[in-house]
Amino acid sequence: MADGAQVNMVTFTLNGEEVTVPEGYSIWEAANGRGLKIPHLCHKPAKGYKPDGNCRACMVEVEGERTLVASCIRPVAQGMVVQTDTDRAKKSRELVVELLAADQPEVKHDASSHFWEMAALNGVTASRFPAKEPEHVPLLDDSHVAMRVNLDACINCNLCVRACRDVQVNDVIGMAGRGATSKVVFDQDDPMGASSCVACGECVQACPTGALMPATVLDENQEGDSKDYDREVKSVCPYCGVGCQISFKVKDDKIKYVEGIDGPANENRLCVKGRFGFDYIHHPHRLTNPLIRRDDAPPKALNVDPADWLTHFRVATWDEALDFAAGGMARLRDEKPTYIAGFGSAKCSNEEAYLFQKLIRQGFGHNNVDHCTRLCHASSVAALLENVGSGAVSATFNEIENADVAIAIGCNPLENHPVAATYFKQFTKRGGKLIVMDPRGHGLKRFASHMLQFKPGADVSMLNAIMHVIVEEELYDRQYIQAMTENWEEMKEHLKGFPPEKMAPVCGIEADVLRDVARTFAGAKAAMIFWGMGVSQHIHGTDNSRCLISLALMCGQVGRPGAGLHPLRGQNNVQGASDAGLIPMFLPDYQTVTDDGVRSAFTEVWQSGDFSNQKGLTVVEIMDAIHAGDIRSMYILGENPAMSDPDADHARDALAKLEHLVVQDIFLTETANYADVILPSSAWYEKSGTVTNTNRQVQMGRPVTPPPGEAKEDWWIEVELARRLGLNWTYTHPSEVFAEMKLNMPSLDNITWERLEKTAVTYPSLGPDDPGQPIVFMDGFPRADGRAKFTPANVLPPDEAPDAEYPFVLITGRQLEHWHTGSMTRRSKVLDAVEPEANCSLHPRSLRELGVEPGDYIRLTTRRGSITVLARADRAVSEGNVFLPFAYVEAAANILTNPALDPYGKIPEFKFSAVRVEQVQDAVAAE
Amino acid sequence: MVPLDFPGGVWKKKGTGKSRKQPKGRQVTDLALQQVTDLLNGRPRNRDLLIEFLHLIQDKYGHLSVDHIAALAHEMRLAQAEVYEVATFYAHFDVVGEDETPPPALTIRVCDSLSCELAGADQLHQALKDGMDSSQVRVLRAPCMGRCDLAPVLELGHNHIDHATPEKVSIAMMADATHAHVPGYQGFDAYVAGGGYAMLKDLREKGDWEEVQETVLASGLRGLGGAGFPSGKKWGFVRANPGPRYLAVNGDEGEPGTFKDRYYLERTPHLFLEGMLIAAWAVDAEKAFIYLRDEYPAVRKILKREIDVLEQAGIAAPGYIDLRRGAGAYICGEESAMIESIEGKRGLPRHRPPFVAQVGIFNHPTLVHNIETLHWVARVMREGPEVLNSVEHNGRKGLRSYSVSGRVKNPGVHLLPAGSTILDIIDACGGMLEGHTFKAYQPGGPSSGLLPASINDVPLDFDTLQPLGTFIGSAAVVILSDQDSAKAAALNMLRFFEDESCGQCTPCRTGCEKAVKLMQADTWDQDLLSDLCQVMGDSSICGLGQAAPNPIRSMMTHFPGEI
Repeated sequence: MADGAQVNMVTFTLNGEEVTVPEGYSIWEAANGRGLKIPHLCHKPAKGYKPDGNCRACMVEVEGERTLVASCIRPVAQGMVVQTDTDRAKKSRELVVELLAADQPEVKHDASSHFWEMAALNGVTASRFPAKEPEHVPLLDDSHVAMRVNLDACINCNLCVRACRDVQVNDVIGMAGRGATSKVVFDQDDPMGASSCVACGECVQACPTGALMPATVLDENQEGDSKDYDREVKSVCPYCGVGCQISFKVKDDKIKYVEGIDGPANENRLCVKGRFGFDYIHHPHRLTNPLIRRDDAPPKALNVDPADWLTHFRVATWDEALDFAAGGMARLRDEKPTYIAGFGSAKCSNEEAYLFQKLIRQGFGHNNVDHCTRLCHASSVAALLENVGSGAVSATFNEIENADVAIAIGCNPLENHPVAATYFKQFTKRGGKLIVMDPRGHGLKRFASHMLQFKPGADVSMLNAIMHVIVEEELYDRQYIQAMTENWEEMKEHLKGFPPEKMAPVCGIEADVLRDVARTFAGAKAAMIFWGMGVSQHIHGTDNSRCLISLALMCGQVGRPGAGLHPLRGQNNVQGASDAGLIPMFLPDYQTVTDDGVRSAFTEVWQSGDFSNQKGLTVVEIMDAIHAGDIRSMYILGENPAMSDPDADHARDALAKLEHLVVQDIFLTETANYADVILPSSAWYEKSGTVTNTNRQVQMGRPVTPPPGEAKEDWWIEVELARRLGLNWTYTHPSEVFAEMKLNMPSLDNITWERLEKTAVTYPSLGPDDPGQPIVFMDGFPRADGRAKFTPANVLPPDEAPDAEYPFVLITGRQLEHWHTGSMTRRSKVLDAVEPEANCSLHPRSLRELGVEPGDYIRLTTRRGSITVLARADRAVSEGNVFLPFAYVEAAANILTNPALDPYGKIPEFKFSAVRVEQVQDAVAAE
Repeated sequence: MVPLDFPGGVWKKKGTGKSRKQPKGRQVTDLALQQVTDLLNGRPRNRDLLIEFLHLIQDKYGHLSVDHIAALAHEMRLAQAEVYEVATFYAHFDVVGEDETPPPALTIRVCDSLSCELAGADQLHQALKDGMDSSQVRVLRAPCMGRCDLAPVLELGHNHIDHATPEKVSIAMMADATHAHVPGYQGFDAYVAGGGYAMLKDLREKGDWEEVQETVLASGLRGLGGAGFPSGKKWGFVRANPGPRYLAVNGDEGEPGTFKDRYYLERTPHLFLEGMLIAAWAVDAEKAFIYLRDEYPAVRKILKREIDVLEQAGIAAPGYIDLRRGAGAYICGEESAMIESIEGKRGLPRHRPPFVAQVGIFNHPTLVHNIETLHWVARVMREGPEVLNSVEHNGRKGLRSYSVSGRVKNPGVHLLPAGSTILDIIDACGGMLEGHTFKAYQPGGPSSGLLPASINDVPLDFDTLQPLGTFIGSAAVVILSDQDSAKAAALNMLRFFEDESCGQCTPCRTGCEKAVKLMQADTWDQDLLSDLCQVMGDSSICGLGQAAPNPIRSMMTHFPGEI
């Protein structure tokens, strides 16, 4: 209910008592609100689930009506007289359950199922009715690694269909057939594992009978009990930036299964990674002791088996390892402090990110500290800071609820932000117009009102052409521009050079489509723009973002409900880590290191001397500095540059060249292959700390299980190292770190550890009771004069153009099941089973022209390197393009990528390399 | 260029053989996509046309393959499950799985509803099954085809064979007679020559819809689909809601034993069409949909042809009358299920409130009328309300088209005074068949159950049968004789409901299935069946499930000796 909207109340009689509820309440809701439990099967009182009224287990009597009424779906009406406890109503409720019980299998797939709970509530334990003929009883479908389908327990309540269709909008499950033979199907009655199911598991969470269950809950006889666990812990998902809240069910200190809970970003929804990707923490590869490189180890290279590292490393005590790690860095510091650099992590907590940048700055006196934000949205942040004065999203993605038009450009949320994508898909089902712009016709295409499958790297030409139309046809918001922006005249002048007819051949989108998009966006009541790394990972990434910001500004689509700019953040805490200052040019809250006053504010709190007033080096620059001999030691916490940096061979060579590499991680990652000392840390599920998602929502992570062996929480390791580096650190709990962060981070005003223990808070929060502001820039921008700026962008071609030798365009990215460099997801049974090996995708026609069958191996070669990889046929990929995910060490995409940088954001051009594609015979056997 | 120096750090291997060659799920094949786009031609890819498109594929290829479904889904930007669940809901679509054999080119559907069963449909079905090469011809049971007066009937391809015998089928097959034959009917010119469409023209020019409504109300015309709602009254309800509004004509005459709508459409289609256009005018409908059951291919040809004529004559704007084809689902005679089907979905009845007059097709106010009702709207307007309200019999006013079948000499549609008793009707039919003694009757389709011959003085009209726990419905009267088993008839009715239940709600879906099992016992468990009847009647979503127990109840009340 929007603020201030008048809620009409209705009064009715419930079992003889007058009850007043808001208009629109169902009888069931009204009764439930008074503690009266009406049995229900097909009704799930949870966000996103509409009542369906099909099971007829919640029947009540309404005076004056011929038949009984399903209380879940009948709105209360003024003066209605309802009886829930008449014999007639009770008889119906009982008999409905008895009818269904007749066909329940003897094997209880879920001994604590909602169905049997409701049966008990009705006093039904058995059925007088004959069961279905055995030939009509569905058989087990165990084709999916994550879920078990036992439709013998299905009661056709339709909840899984609604889960799949209405809530997650994956549209895999249907109710096929008719009458007593109607049944739940996946796609065209395919086995679940062969269907288009993306394993979000929403159906499993919704199923009231045990017909759909997480595989981990059932034994080989298909028996299980969803309530058989020792404890439940509520925390946050460790994967993407959506920040879903999860309830973990733990048995014998292992996670048995999970359920989505009602977090502000996910409202009970999860995706396959959040729901089924938790078991990496129990993987045998987990590091359980500190390790020190053996004196007789082979030369540093990508040559350590993470399952058997004894040839390269030896076990050490914490004391020895910490002394060794800190000692090595201290020795080089004494020679020259800038010999040491650090990569922190966007996968750890805010407190750990804060401590990491503090360690580098306080401990080594410079700013050579960075993290993977450099590789994902650095250019977006550069453009946002430049033009609107803040690097975070202006509106939460959930605000799409209030929009009528949205642009999703250079992002594939169905795979990379699956839960956010559910809101986008729901938006289109409500009639919202979704304009999708991407060189790939990925999953959102089916939901798009406009699909602009433009040429890779042609973003600026396309966006400028759209803005040209808005100027030419005077569709812009004159009043907003006048009141809230600067540099409009220059922008207008600049855009004259980009008529759609001229840009059409450049971007590959016809002029009339560009015009239609311009009119649609400019004509919106409220519009949002979402973007991902398709926008940011270019040498013109900052220019791309500038265009998006300008587009929103000229239409006045910022700072209102349903309007805003939202770069979708990739990792669980990339927003928080950036906020916490894990960036070479900024201290926490994007306060520049070049400002003396800023530095002194921090050193005052830190009780230490000043540090460098020079911006530090970024990720790729640090690798180059290693090659140049300027950096000789690194402390790398939870990052994997051996996989994630462009031109990975170059990065790996750099890592090998380091004299003293300290790696802190949960697995022996590709980067840890090159380590001198490895510090085993706890996984996200094993520690306390706060994280900030893409929506600026700060949430509390809680330890679900204890860390294995000697593994320690990252903040503890950081403190121990700091102490050994001579720093005055005394923290004993992350809450103390959080308290210190607040001293110099106004973004955390009104947000306290104690509050976060209870609930998520969105920053900025305007008071101790304000849940936080989903929308910012309502009254202006945090820039001089409070005005946002138009920054014109010119068309800059990609760094390397395809040519005769390298005729294809290589686009790297991610896949639904794998996250970042795969170190976690490839160690999850379910995720690994669904995507077990490196693959790339080409259009079927491209494959045919190359003489390659889908499933064959091909060789991809760029100026940097070469890999062989399995080829998939996928119509979503444009002809002439190759899409290659970067999570796979056996065919690491970044061996191929171009390290050319965006001049502002210093982000590499992961999204565009010229590549040669060749057929290979027996590629696998040859290796 | 050597990508990896040592294999050790590469802990994941290639060549697992487990990686997909394509994205998840079934991919669209080029061939199927081409075939489907060819069939769809330039048609708009609107969701509500899904069933029409499935017909196109079924008609052309004789079945729906997984590839065609995948291609159609792709083309319509729907999920495969969304197409599959619709395709499998309707009996006339043959969905063929990946490893399944498509059905043979020719299908024989043998009607197994009550009148045909009485006339030996079982034996006919068996004889055909035994006598046919199953690789060439498929013999199926099918529900009522609306030719009960000509029982037993079957449909060979789309050719209906009345009083069917295996011999007749062989002859028809040899002659390749598999298409519907259109009977002679009153065409446009003849209708206009008799003054047809003058009233419509007049009304459109200077009519007052409220006056028309008054006239219709005065005639006493009530909804002849079976609900009996005063016809004119609906118009006001629909008009009270803001537009756009739609008219939907319910031509899904599926209640077994009913064939009056077919009777009128095959004789005087323009009376119906003019009545429809008058009603559409009265509620200012954006568009008029006619939902015609797929069992009436001849009628479809007639309507298609005559709608074209109306468009050419400028009486209906092109596309204003949208003739939609059912696909074999009795439940789509339920008005909200019909609306779902018109929207291209499975025919699941909607919950009420809201009523379709408020929230109907595409969630807009919708006026729903039965075919015969509109036939009478035209007659009332052309001939005056007296055509109905001047007739009086047994204290009841008006006329009723009784569809009579079973053990009478002259079955057929008999237009009689609405107050006729069963004896009046048997009289009108020339009496019982030789050697048959009147034992029982179905007054208004299986939903009305059975009454014993002893209840022979009740006027068979709206409202008069309620005290007996039954109703006249669509006036589908089936006469049973001493040679027939009431118990078998009741089982036939419940089997029909079991087959035709949409499956949405538990009492109907599971209730019908369990009832059929319980009714096959030599001695019924009457306590359990009574409980079941009560709950089906109390708690089913729509009239199908609510009325389905009526045959069981009537057995327990009137024929306890048989159970």
